[in-house]
Amino acid sequence: MADMSKIGKEYPAVSWEVERGKIREMATAIGDANPIYKDKAAAIKEGYKDIPITPTYLTVPAMGGGNMLTLVGDLGINVAMVLHGEEEYEFLSDIYPGDVITGTCRVVNVEEKTTKKGSKMDLVTTEVLYTNQRGEAVAKARTVIVERK
Amino acid sequence: MAQELYYEDVQVGQAMPPLTKGPVAKLQLVMYAGASGDFNPLHTDDDFAKAVGMPGVIAHGMLIMGFVGQAITDWIPRKNLKKLGVRFAGMTYPGETITVSGTVTDKRKDNGSNLITCEVTAADQNGGVKISGSFVAALPSRG
Repeated sequence: MADMSKIGKEYPAVSWEVERGKIREMATAIGDANPIYKDKAAAIKEGYKDIPITPTYLTVPAMGGGNMLTLVGDLGINVAMVLHGEEEYEFLSDIYPGDVITGTCRVVNVEEKTTKKGSKMDLVTTEVLYTNQRGEAVAKARTVIVERK
Repeated sequence: MAQELYYEDVQVGQAMPPLTKGPVAKLQLVMYAGASGDFNPLHTDDDFAKAVGMPGVIAHGMLIMGFVGQAITDWIPRKNLKKLGVRFAGMTYPGETITVSGTVTDKRKDNGSNLITCEVTAADQNGGVKISGSFVAALPSRG
């Protein structure tokens, strides 16, 4: 059950090194053949310093870096009943392979809702601000997860 | 890959070129689990999915958002995408074909940036909506 007392809680910062292979793997899994995600020369030709991250790459540090699991554990959420409600990314600056991005996850809202069919669910909203190794803010992620009851 | 698109060449009401993806395969869900690090068995294990009340595995919502990201960056260079937000409106099952479409809803100059806002939808072959959302891109000016 989601715990309303966690609203405002901030979790310890998690750092994640952005890897070229992981960007390629993400593009391949999506089936996105855009060469900028796989070929450094193609990316440079298009005006990038290196291959850019795909628009949804930031799910990798969220899952792999452990922020999401920490959150789910701390809020006592049953993973088997979790659905993804919303996701929003704001891109503030470039992120390239070799960058080390640090994300600080904060719980911004926890609420219970009743669907039209009468079933109850908890909605948990988090925000993560990512900064790079130079301390520059590079991206923001806002996530709503839904726990079915 | 996307050609440069100029602010002056985009009009409110204009359609984004649609992108059709799929059919979504169970193998793709396994690949996406590995790529993303989201190993919730709801996406890869039919027995588990049935035990939690689903007819079978469902796609990661983030995979479908990835389709949306591809549609956008096929049209507008990746570096011009500033914000992308979606709501997951429906579950995607293996075998479904997903089409991403969108419409420009706003153009504005803000602090020297030329911004467009576009609403986007990802829907299956029967029109069932999986994702609704919007994105903001900053475009170069011909001026």
